[in-house]
Amino acid sequence: PSHSKSKRASGFDMAPPTSNLMSSAPGQGFQDQLPGMPQPMSALSQSMFTGGSAQLGSL
Amino acid sequence: CSRLHTKPSISPTLLLANMYQRPDMITPGVDPQGQPLDPTKIQQHFEDFYEDLFEELNKYGEIESLNICDNLADHMVGNVYVQFREEEHAAEAVRNLSGRFYAGRPIIVDFSPVTDFREATCR
Repeated sequence: PSHSKSKRASGFDMAPPTSNLMSSAPGQGFQDQLPGMPQPMSALSQSMFTGGSAQLGSL
Repeated sequence: CSRLHTKPSISPTLLLANMYQRPDMITPGVDPQGQPLDPTKIQQHFEDFYEDLFEELNKYGEIESLNICDNLADHMVGNVYVQFREEEHAAEAVRNLSGRFYAGRPIIVDFSPVTDFREATCR
């Protein structure tokens, strides 16, 4: 049986559930993802919700 | 590496930070609920992600190179590097992707200084 070629839904523009934006399910939040690096991560999430991006630290 | 990399104001290469999340990112080979994951499922998940990225990025210009980090260490984890043939196409992609979401997470996009991935190491 040939594998269906029907298009998967792309993950682009899949918004987060509104109640889930900052706190989150395990593995979803930046804080959960990288517990060893709280500083750059919180800076990241602050600036990304205020629209700034120029000063983000590279990882 | 200090991880304080230079950030060009324009470049043909973009970095989409921490964009790919492995299904077994918490424990290798195991999903977040603790169930063992089939390696072919993990590979399929990665390939679906790659396809999503390629199809979206290809809208903005010809892609020279598309690299996705699927490592599990904390450095560069899930980073996506895309190099366009033309700087203007990279700039167009930045304009279009900024502020959007992928799979429920914000897209963090910026120019990257990398132009040759064979030489792309921190010093």
